[in-house]
Amino acid sequence: MPPSGTRTVATDREERRLGFRLTLPTQVLILFIAVFPLLMQLYISLTDWSPLEGTGWWRAYELWNGFANYTDLLGDSRLWGALWRTFVVMLVCVPAEFLLGLGLAVLFMDDFPGKRVFYSILLMPMMVVPAVAGYMFFMLFQSGGPVNGILSGLTGLDVTIAWLSDPTLALVAVMIADIWQWTPLMFLILLAGLVGVPEDQLKAATLLGASWGQRFVTIMLPRIRTVLIIALAIRVIESFKIFDTLYIMTGGGPGVATETISVYIYKVTTQDLIWGYVAAIALVILIALSVLTVLAMKRMAAAGGRA
Amino acid sequence: MAEIAFRNVTKRFGDTVAVNDTSFTIADNEFFCFFGPPSSGKTTILRLILGLETPDSGEILIGGRPVTHTSPAERNVAMVFQNLALFPHMTARDNVRFPLVERKLPEAQIAARVAAVAEKLHIGHILHKPPAQLSGGERQRVAIARALVRDPAAYLMDDPISALDARLREETRVELKRIQRELGHTLLYVTHDQEEAMSVADRMAILERGAIRQIATPREIYERPASRYVAGLVGAPAINLLKGSADRAAGLYDLADGAIRLPLAAVPGEAVEVGVRPEAIRIAPFSGSSTKPATIWEVEPLGGFTVVTLSAGADRLRVMLRGQPRLTADEKVELSVDPAALHFFAADGTALAGRQ
Amino acid sequence: MTTIRLENLVKSFGSFTALKTMDLEIGNGEFVALLGPSGCGKSTTMNMIAGMEAPTSGRILFDGRDMAGVPMGKRGVGFVFQNYAIFTHMTVRQNLAYGPKARGWPKAKVDAAVAKIADFLQLTPMLDQKSAKLSVNILQRLAIGRSAIVEPAIFLLDEPLSNVDAAFRAVMRTELKHLQREFRQTMVYVTHDQLEAMTMADRIAVMDHGVLQQVGTPIEVYNDPVNLFVARFIGAPGMNLVEGTLAETDRGLAVDLGAFGLSPPLPAALAGAARTAGAKEVVYGFRPEEVTLRTEGPGLRAAVGFVERIGARTIVHFGAADRALKIVAEPSTAVSVGETLSIEPVAASVRLFDKASGRAIKGAA
Repeated sequence: MPPSGTRTVATDREERRLGFRLTLPTQVLILFIAVFPLLMQLYISLTDWSPLEGTGWWRAYELWNGFANYTDLLGDSRLWGALWRTFVVMLVCVPAEFLLGLGLAVLFMDDFPGKRVFYSILLMPMMVVPAVAGYMFFMLFQSGGPVNGILSGLTGLDVTIAWLSDPTLALVAVMIADIWQWTPLMFLILLAGLVGVPEDQLKAATLLGASWGQRFVTIMLPRIRTVLIIALAIRVIESFKIFDTLYIMTGGGPGVATETISVYIYKVTTQDLIWGYVAAIALVILIALSVLTVLAMKRMAAAGGRA
Repeated sequence: MAEIAFRNVTKRFGDTVAVNDTSFTIADNEFFCFFGPPSSGKTTILRLILGLETPDSGEILIGGRPVTHTSPAERNVAMVFQNLALFPHMTARDNVRFPLVERKLPEAQIAARVAAVAEKLHIGHILHKPPAQLSGGERQRVAIARALVRDPAAYLMDDPISALDARLREETRVELKRIQRELGHTLLYVTHDQEEAMSVADRMAILERGAIRQIATPREIYERPASRYVAGLVGAPAINLLKGSADRAAGLYDLADGAIRLPLAAVPGEAVEVGVRPEAIRIAPFSGSSTKPATIWEVEPLGGFTVVTLSAGADRLRVMLRGQPRLTADEKVELSVDPAALHFFAADGTALAGRQ
Repeated sequence: MTTIRLENLVKSFGSFTALKTMDLEIGNGEFVALLGPSGCGKSTTMNMIAGMEAPTSGRILFDGRDMAGVPMGKRGVGFVFQNYAIFTHMTVRQNLAYGPKARGWPKAKVDAAVAKIADFLQLTPMLDQKSAKLSVNILQRLAIGRSAIVEPAIFLLDEPLSNVDAAFRAVMRTELKHLQREFRQTMVYVTHDQLEAMTMADRIAVMDHGVLQQVGTPIEVYNDPVNLFVARFIGAPGMNLVEGTLAETDRGLAVDLGAFGLSPPLPAALAGAARTAGAKEVVYGFRPEEVTLRTEGPGLRAAVGFVERIGARTIVHFGAADRALKIVAEPSTAVSVGETLSIEPVAASVRLFDKASGRAIKGAA
């Protein structure tokens, strides 16, 4: 039998208060995870502290140097070089992955024999551990490696290109590896978007006399717009952080020829151990990326409102 | 005693008034139907009775006992859900037993009650089957049995058969009515289908924007609607609502551009609109009489009946004729109506008594 | 303005045959409804006409021209989808202009056509609204307008009223029928709702399990169903069908209807046909509207189980379960539950079916 006694239904305000209390622990945890490290980083970035000092980071104020790290950063040509290379990688890889992924996704909208097999094969690169992928491409691009072997076979000449020793070719090799590994993600996201385009609308457009190109531009693209922006945003942010595959292939070399921002930070952190400076760089990049993300989100929301 | 009453109940959601100062009394053993367009407050009334919502003001009584602030569990009203919500992994028997098992009743009592309700609903022979092996009608009975097994004061149904196709709906509603007759519980029923409401209800309440516009038997509602709104809501094809104009010199009242002419004396002075049911209009070939002709716009055969849409001036009229008369579009016809079948409405939409 | 001819049309999906040898000729400007329950093959037929699916065998001819291999965009077919398939990311105007633009009409011509069709379908006030938030009835008009603007030779409609509420559906039916009559457009309309087919179509093609059962005007199909399936499917309430055995009486051939007693003697033509057919076990059918109700007298004897008073119609239910009858009586009819009455079907409206084959036994007309 149910318990007896009367009960007044909770009012909206009571329910809101209850909700707040229930989520409080989570909110505290999030605060601790997200906000605390940020503040710590900001603090250290205003000092010359390094683990070599032998004092705890909380005593970094003893080495206070104000905004010196930030002014140094402006004049650091190696940093700007790394940043520039990062942008080059992003500007080449993301569009390439996008176009390849979109092309593949469009192909996969229709049925063809062996579709499932191709699908599985296509998704494989994404599942390879980046470090392993790095080692794989490192092997492939050796001067006596398979890539040169294939080129020799094709041209009939004895090709012995030193891929990873030439500054330009090393960057090209690194970008090829990145495109190989991340095109599948683009493909997957875009295919999900395209599959979601209502079939009736595509049929309706066809019946109205629209060609494939017209359907693509007027129905498919607007429909996958949001997905498309998300896919691009993910890859832009990810490519900014390119590190593992690249580091194993070239270690950032030859010289600084493939040194991207992540590789640079890694080196400064582990080799030079100037943590205050690293904290400043990381913070500046974080802010820059955040601003970019917010802008992209706003554009996306605006686009969503129109779509 | 399972009388259910609302006394000046109001329920608001933010700025919207879902139920507005509503009072009614539903008698014991009554099949009572709430009928109205979407968001007219039908479902909110059911939720108020169930105790899923609390009124902002007013009082709700079940069996004479105020339950306004009583929890749903103590109100002793049962709900039969639209999709019937039978548990597919249980047999019909376990479905029916479920509410009693939940209440931890002794096994002997559960068995006795299940047997009693199964007997009443004639489902004893199918209790061992899972819902998937039952027909739609049987599932309906099992769902009702599950609602009734704890002997509620009343059971509620919110548009229970709207998902069925037309043919099955017609059969199921008759079945529901039969079940309710045999069981004799108070049944509160929400529907948005006027034909269904008319078919099953002992009495029905017509709702508009959270307020009840009329409570009466389906027949009274159809024959003596309290307002233009109520008249327009029941009947298929819908009632013809025609603006009239008085020709004082001739002593006539013209409807549909003179295609229907009434003696002015028969029309209440305040009438601005006249309602004519489609079956109250008769059609004859145009003979050049005192009325103007109407033109046949479309003819729709239903088999046993024929619906004819006429155009007369700016008006469109629908006429329902028995049988399969030979009529063709664009033909000119002459109309006549039975004056007793007319409804007169004032400017504010309320019905006026005719002057015979 | 085109005739459609389906010749020996068959469609199989693997081992499942969705359509078995369909032959149908649809005249120029004719409104034909493909009617049947879900899975009867009506949508498959429609999709093949539109070119969305290729027939397994058989031919589809438009004005005598074989459509095999003609892609759907080139068939000159307007298609209104069940869910309307409106391009929700576009405005009403962009939706209407879609076909003309895809065909590369000059801008002035596109604008003029949009203005004309919008005016005709009363869409002008919302031309620049986003179509995502429009009501169902506007969406429906938009769907029709979008197809009509390119002046297709054939119009195909796939259950376009199934999302519209009951009250509005009645209005839309009349409007759609009138529209078709004005345009004189060849129209094929797929529906599972016999009421829609009856009220709108010039001819109805009744289908079941991939087989075309009967083609005829609504009245023909209603009055003279060729078999039990059609008899059951057409009309609401449906035809009363009672199993019985033919019995010779001193007043002629009648049907022994078991608990309902003996039917009135069959009309001479029907009795003759029944004798010729030779079947003993038959199904006796009559429409609920075509009867005389009396307290005493000839006819089927049954007790009133339940009375439904629905405005202009009063439906009296007799008997129960599989031995049930329904009669549509005048609203004024006074009957009380439990009372036993005589139901005499109007002689001319009585139909007989062979119980074994389900086929109608037809008297010479």
